[in-house]
Amino acid sequence: MSKSLIELKNVSMKFGGVTALSDVTFDVKEKEILGLIGPNGAGKTTVFNVITGVYQITSGEIIFDGKSLAGVKRYKITKRGVARTFQNIRLWGDMTALENVMTAADTHKKSGLVSGLFGFPISRREEKRDKARAQELLDFIGIGEYSDRLAKNLPYGVQRRLEIARAMGAEPKLLLLDEPAAGFNPAEKVELAATIRKIRDAGYTVLLIEHDMSLVMKVSDRVVVLDFGQKIADDSPRKVQDDKRVIEAYLGVPEDAS
Amino acid sequence: MVGTFATIIIIRDVFKFTQVSEYATGFRLWLILGTALVSAMLVSGILSMLVEMVAYRRLRRMNSGVLAPLISAIGVSMVLSESVRILTDSRPVASPRAMEKKFLGQFFDAGIRIDNTIIVVSALILFAVLITFVNKTRMGKAIRAVSMNPNAARLMGINIDGVISATFLVGGLMTGAAGFFYTLKYENTSAFIGFELGIAAFTAAILGGIGNIKGAFYGGLALGLLETYASFFLGTQWKAVTVFIVLVLILYTRPNGLFGEALTQTRA
Amino acid sequence: MINLRDKGAEIWENQGRVGRIVIAACAIAIVAALPFMGGTFLNTPIADYESVLVYPIAMFVLMAIGLNIVIGKSGLLDLGYVAFFAIGAYTMGLLGTKTGLNTWEILPIGIAMAMFSGIILGVPALKLRGDYLAIITLGFGEIVRIVALNLGALGRSEGIQGIPTPPGIFGIEYAFDSHRIYYWTLLILILLAIWMVRRLSARRAGRAWESIRQDEDAAELLGVPTFKYKVWAFVLGASVGGAAGVIYASKTLFIAPDNFTLQISILILACVVFGGMGNIWGVILGAVILGYLPDRIRFLSEARLLVFGLVLVIMMNLRPDGILPRKKREKAIVKKDAS
Repeated sequence: MSKSLIELKNVSMKFGGVTALSDVTFDVKEKEILGLIGPNGAGKTTVFNVITGVYQITSGEIIFDGKSLAGVKRYKITKRGVARTFQNIRLWGDMTALENVMTAADTHKKSGLVSGLFGFPISRREEKRDKARAQELLDFIGIGEYSDRLAKNLPYGVQRRLEIARAMGAEPKLLLLDEPAAGFNPAEKVELAATIRKIRDAGYTVLLIEHDMSLVMKVSDRVVVLDFGQKIADDSPRKVQDDKRVIEAYLGVPEDAS
Repeated sequence: MVGTFATIIIIRDVFKFTQVSEYATGFRLWLILGTALVSAMLVSGILSMLVEMVAYRRLRRMNSGVLAPLISAIGVSMVLSESVRILTDSRPVASPRAMEKKFLGQFFDAGIRIDNTIIVVSALILFAVLITFVNKTRMGKAIRAVSMNPNAARLMGINIDGVISATFLVGGLMTGAAGFFYTLKYENTSAFIGFELGIAAFTAAILGGIGNIKGAFYGGLALGLLETYASFFLGTQWKAVTVFIVLVLILYTRPNGLFGEALTQTRA
Repeated sequence: MINLRDKGAEIWENQGRVGRIVIAACAIAIVAALPFMGGTFLNTPIADYESVLVYPIAMFVLMAIGLNIVIGKSGLLDLGYVAFFAIGAYTMGLLGTKTGLNTWEILPIGIAMAMFSGIILGVPALKLRGDYLAIITLGFGEIVRIVALNLGALGRSEGIQGIPTPPGIFGIEYAFDSHRIYYWTLLILILLAIWMVRRLSARRAGRAWESIRQDEDAAELLGVPTFKYKVWAFVLGASVGGAAGVIYASKTLFIAPDNFTLQISILILACVVFGGMGNIWGVILGAVILGYLPDRIRFLSEARLLVFGLVLVIMMNLRPDGILPRKKREKAIVKKDAS
């Protein structure tokens, strides 16, 4: 029984009168790929936001790697080992692909501004190391040839993959992928599924939001379903697909049922 | 909206002028004042629209970010204020006394003068008109739509250029009126007033919260009161310092101004 | 002009280490020789050419480099930069007249004072963004001026007089009217500033600032300690401004609050934006042009500032990204060494 990397316990998130998440409890086990699905507005991105510290939850707790994430600053959460991609691509367009990844990797550096300025050996070492690692990550994701191109000039598919490489650059234990297949054609989705599995096999834990059902079901070890901010299913892909509540949430209840 | 404030700084330099050319006579006072006010407003409004078309429109089309228009605005400000300065030979211009500064009566300890009353009442009327315009008319709604989401507005068939022109026109009208009141009360003006008042306007807008007309109103009110009390208790030289310190404190507790909407929402 | 920049970048990138040193040395030599080119078409009507080189040109260049860190690289709108210049100048003024320290001894103190005030301003102000940050920094600039105007210890409106000039180095005298020597001193400071900025840009700090400028929220979520680096940007920018202030005070012998107005903050801002934000060479060029121009067109006398304003409007509309916009030397990069 592998241990949980991150646990959400009775997490609720209210914004004024709107309840985005209501008493949500689930966990992600180490080295697992967990798919998070649900109709639009179900609260999936809110889950990402509360994990990464964009919002402070109104009640419940989030335990990551044994420690609570309450009140922890966002960049510190990343340093602890959580990194994400964004649904609408948010790369730093004026920087190269390599620099985008290196910026994420900077979070673990011991050297900072002063050592960088005076060229202390530790700064030079870390810089060299991280640069090589960044190129490695780009190669791993399959976009190594674009490393010196400006992010804003990259084709869409490359940008999406760069988002993933960048998040990996932060050397996270938990990787949050927010609709990584958006806008992909079927062939690209197949490639992406293989990539995600490759990522997991390399030792990362993945929490994945995706709308493409076949992709999610194929790639995930387990699936959690949200609807109107509540968890309505938490099981293997096969079982979730057949779950009546899930079907209703997506397709609605047939009209003649009372 | 950012550029608008820069423009306001500029316009203030110029509107005073219209006021000066009016003569003071004893009778038909209201007619004269009314004409002066309207002409001041119109000149400012039209000037404001022209400025937008010449100095900002292109930058807006090119999506140039916020700093390029700011520098352009500074340039415009210099052009306008220098033009005025050259025309006035760098000296302040005294405005003829348009009316007797009669006392109307007492309100507790404060004397009520007619010119102050006119100003306050007119300002309130103008403000009421502005609020109605922004909230109730079609153009007002269009303005708000564009400020919230220009792309969606365009897709809804709103003519962005026209709306922006209208916004600048309205801004100019208000500023022209402000200039008129200023000259009415202080009876002189110069090419340099615009700058200081413009900064005050900007500060008041920030204080009230950008994007919010009601906020601007209260911001202006708060600023005025703050300045006056600060002058009174600490002496006029510390006025600006106090105001800014209070501004910092307020922005600290309410980072979006008293009533404002967040300029940059944290998105994720 | 774009082709010039790209070509220049191409040449630079294709040099080995030796080639680069040669190019840099030649460039520095030419710039250092500028004071000797007075009397040519470069002359300005009223002010002495060499004096203009020192102030405003060299001073503006130095300050523009400093402000560029804040605005150009990090995207933080600072409208009160003159405050750091003033603090450096007044530190020189006070310590120079009241204690026995000389300019070189006061220089680090002035820089430290400026950096300290960068922290004082930065910590509260940088929690805000956009226009709100702008107005706070503007206020700070004004407050510094007003405090200087009203505090007896700082001389009120008369300011401080009789500030000592720097002591001679290696036998070279710093007489009041020997502009050249000040120019070369400033040149050294400018070179130091350029070195500092380029150094930092290639490392973590540069990436942090760029990511903050482009998408601060994303940066935070990917582990960049945004607040810390924003404050650093302020502090470093302030240090450069403070250094300029110390030299300024030491040269002009007396300073007064009127020397440190909001107009100067705005002018330096214009240099940065006009020249090309983020691009250090653009910023330098912008400062040179905008520092030189008002004096050069003095023959227009009355219409001088008006023309200046027109230049700003026209330039910004023609080239909103500045004369030498920031643009990664993508095409020119053939091989990068991992220094």
